Amino acid sequence: MTNVWFQSFKKVFKECDYDKSVQSACDTVRGRNGHVKIMYFQQSMEPVTTLLSLLLVMAVDSTRSVTLCRNQQCGNFLQQTLKLTRLIHKESVDLIKIYKTTQGDMSELFCKISINNVPDPNISGLDPSERIVSIYSHIQAFLPHFKRVYEQQTDLQLPTNTLMTELTRVSNRSSSLAAMVNCIYQSLFPNMPVPEPAGGPTSLPPSQNIFQQKVYGCVVLKRYKEFLSNAARELRTVKTQVCKKRTQMNVLS
Amino acid sequence: MISWRGLLHLLAWACLLSRKPANCADIPEKPENLTCVAVQVKNNEISPTIGCTWVPGTRGSRDLNTNYTLFAEVVLVGLKRAVAKQNNSCEITLDSYPHHMILNIWVEAENDLGKVESEHLSGDADFIVKTSPPSDVKVFSEKHFPTSLLINWTHPIAAEYLKLIYQIRYCSSGSSTWTHVPPVDTAKYIQSFRLQYLQPDTVYVIQVSCKNMREGHGHWSDWSANVTARTPEDKPMSKPDLWRVITPGDSAHERKVLFICKNPVLSNGKIRSFDIRVQGTKWENVLVNGSDSESDYDSSQRKTTHLKQIVLSDRRMGYVEVIAHNSVGKSPKALLVIPKASQELSPVEGLKSWIHSGRLWLEWRPPNVPAGGDAHKYTVTEYVVEWASGAQRDWQREYANTTQTVIRGRLEKYKRYIISVYALFSGWTGKPVTVETFVEQGKPSKGPAVRLNGNPGSTEAELVWNEIPQDEQHGFITNYTIFYSTGTEEHAIPVSADTYSYRLKSLSSKTSYKAWIQASTIAGSCNGTQHSFITLKYAPKEIEGIVVGVCFGFLFLVLLVVLLCIYKRDSIKKTFLPQIPNPGNSSIGTWSPDFPSKADMPRESALADVSVVEVDLFDGKSVFEEDKACLPLKKDKYLSEEHSSGIGGSSCMSSPRQSVSDSDEGGDSSETTASTVQYSSVVACNGYKGQTPSCLPQTNSQPTFSRSESTQPLLDSEENPDMPRQESSRLLHLFPLNPQPRHSANFADMDQLEVEDHGGLLSLRFSALEEDSLQTVPTEEGQSSDWQQAAPVSNYMSQTAGYRPQ
Repeated sequence: MTNVWFQSFKKVFKECDYDKSVQSACDTVRGRNGHVKIMYFQQSMEPVTTLLSLLLVMAVDSTRSVTLCRNQQCGNFLQQTLKLTRLIHKESVDLIKIYKTTQGDMSELFCKISINNVPDPNISGLDPSERIVSIYSHIQAFLPHFKRVYEQQTDLQLPTNTLMTELTRVSNRSSSLAAMVNCIYQSLFPNMPVPEPAGGPTSLPPSQNIFQQKVYGCVVLKRYKEFLSNAARELRTVKTQVCKKRTQMNVLS
Repeated sequence: MISWRGLLHLLAWACLLSRKPANCADIPEKPENLTCVAVQVKNNEISPTIGCTWVPGTRGSRDLNTNYTLFAEVVLVGLKRAVAKQNNSCEITLDSYPHHMILNIWVEAENDLGKVESEHLSGDADFIVKTSPPSDVKVFSEKHFPTSLLINWTHPIAAEYLKLIYQIRYCSSGSSTWTHVPPVDTAKYIQSFRLQYLQPDTVYVIQVSCKNMREGHGHWSDWSANVTARTPEDKPMSKPDLWRVITPGDSAHERKVLFICKNPVLSNGKIRSFDIRVQGTKWENVLVNGSDSESDYDSSQRKTTHLKQIVLSDRRMGYVEVIAHNSVGKSPKALLVIPKASQELSPVEGLKSWIHSGRLWLEWRPPNVPAGGDAHKYTVTEYVVEWASGAQRDWQREYANTTQTVIRGRLEKYKRYIISVYALFSGWTGKPVTVETFVEQGKPSKGPAVRLNGNPGSTEAELVWNEIPQDEQHGFITNYTIFYSTGTEEHAIPVSADTYSYRLKSLSSKTSYKAWIQASTIAGSCNGTQHSFITLKYAPKEIEGIVVGVCFGFLFLVLLVVLLCIYKRDSIKKTFLPQIPNPGNSSIGTWSPDFPSKADMPRESALADVSVVEVDLFDGKSVFEEDKACLPLKKDKYLSEEHSSGIGGSSCMSSPRQSVSDSDEGGDSSETTASTVQYSSVVACNGYKGQTPSCLPQTNSQPTFSRSESTQPLLDSEENPDMPRQESSRLLHLFPLNPQPRHSANFADMDQLEVEDHGGLLSLRFSALEEDSLQTVPTEEGQSSDWQQAAPVSNYMSQTAGYRPQ
């Protein structure tokens, strides 16, 4: 239990360094800590007591997300994750259309070019836990590529361009999807270690010319779309297999 | 490792040691009823800005400022907070809307003494979404489905974001009441729906709304924009609304019946024509054309068509049948019976009307079945409520069990309506019961124009005015108020509404007044035009009275003077008319040649009877003879037949004698005699002459007769025989005959006169003595001048001279 609590705590702090949306959660934690500090340091005379209280609140708050994940009903949470996956898939389809329209006449051509250094859309693993971890790892792997595409398109598009907006939106939703997949994993496999991105840090392509950037961006979006399609299928399978099994176990118990 | 038991102990100690000794009553009150909405801003995008409202508590806010902070936590993603600028609402903006994520929202109220959180709104983030209404809503009608319409629309947001359910409502065009499709039929993720059980040929307005499919989640969107469609036509399913207007005929015991008709309620299409059959005769077709409709005012969107007018005897009943046609088919038949004038069926009873919410309501009781009447015959099948204002007329039908209804037609404010309720007995119309009413009364738009009836008097004037035209009354006239003013003082006299004249009294004479009439309704009053008039100084009868009084006074004065004159005539006579002696009393009347008259006879009577008649009577024959003797030089005609004469045409003198004149030649007449007698009177001096010794010398003197020869008066008498008679008679009046013979006394008097009047004007003075007014009678200019010419003074003087010695 303690391990789980610390893992979750660690996760939060790690996410605080990573994602802006998660940064809000970090602020919240800090804010709550600050709030506690104000309340207790002003009114408590004992620093030891304050320290103990701080540690207690941190512990309770950090376990909240884990508790939340574990309290989620299997079907509902998976269903929500599946919906979000489909939503991002739809948005990725729309994003590809937008991307093509913003990249010029050759967009259809260079979108067919295959390049390396882009994550493979296929989900690996034999059992559900591995496949979920694979999903999670893929999402995490795609996020730096999205960031790179965004940076490349910043030089080519206006900040208010729909492409930029949609890129940001898909990226944000993908982060949320990663958090939800992680939560599912913790929920379904509470005793399994928290998945980490496979193969170490994501390898990004070296500096590219404009054409290469356009090809790269299109390939990233297409691969991500395919991945989301696979992920949705996989999540539906997991929902069918795991949640049904769990329901039967609950009935038997 | 810290055990859980140890943590719990730590927690307990921390709570005990850090417990704040605050007064709980002073911390903010918990915000209630937190509600949040995230609206759709464009296609497939929900705004990341979430708006929340709540009801703040009042506790603690009196003395301390309470700050409200809105929190939005996306589970597994992060927390956002926003400080509320108002104490009951706030907006918070997320990076993007967290579809399919767990969203947790709450508001925290905080003051110096503490903080409190509201209830948390938690769930799928779409639970606060309010999408746009369905877009691209289209409605289709299908020819063979006259009671159905097909609706299509597009989801406002993709299913990947949100799945929606829908609701549909519709109404016929112009109606204000929506009909909702049962939610069970539309609470699905659908994009089309078929409306059924609609009315054919009716325009429907349709709207669609949507919401999150998940029960209890999300907000209903606004209704989509109106989409209209008309259902296909079908044959009329109800009878035409047949009615009649009865007016007096041109002759007595006749009625003009105009049959009018409105389209069937369920006309199911445009009515093209009506078939009408009156009194069982053949069917006639009346085409319905928009421009042919004579009174195209509508109520309930139904036109009125004038079908036919007939003249119906009061002693006959009439009935008419009508069928309506549209492009698809014909309607059921409508029947209306006009009973004999003397056999109209019972009216409804106790008709009342009132206004409620700007609408006119009616209530009545069913008609009584007459004693001994057939209850089945007198069973009401429906009622007709008719309202008319001026030439406008409309009606509506009510079911047989209706005793209270509202006029569904468009009634205008400030208009007088005559409402009639008819009971119908299987098509037979009963007697109407009517009430007059206004939907809303206003003050009259103009006041009555006042004027004076006749002329004003000195203290009163009669004002008259006419009733205000009904269109301008705008309500029931409750009363009129008469105002009249002199400029400084104003009077007001209220009179009843049926008064159209009033007599103002107690006015000041010779004063300018302004008068006007104010017409009043319960809603207000309006003044009419002013009329100015000035009262007279005297009333007409006063003037008449004054004139009559003056006249009577004058007459009284005259009468008084006359009476005074009558009673005091003697004294007046003595004063103004000196006593003249009566010649008749003269002693000369007894004078004769043999007996010289007394020289001292009173002169007063000398002129009284200066008449030759007396001379003639005295002794005509002797005179005649003496004349003969004394007039040798007289011409033949004078001598021939002159017998004698009397002066003045006295009948007793003239009749037996012929006068001496030219007219004698033509025959005797009394007139000529009279004229002649005048001169004979002068000639009578012959008699007198004969009495005098100096007759001879006079005989010799020719001029004595030259005076008698003057024919001028005779000619006058010939031309106008009456004149001498009148004059002579007048003379006789003036000098009444003395029954006593007064022969030569005349001469004595004359003698005296001659002395007084210096001779030649004897005869003129003679007349003047009696009465001044008669001085002109003998015509001073005519006769008297003749007299002067014909009677030389010298000749006459010679006679008197001849007499004087006597």
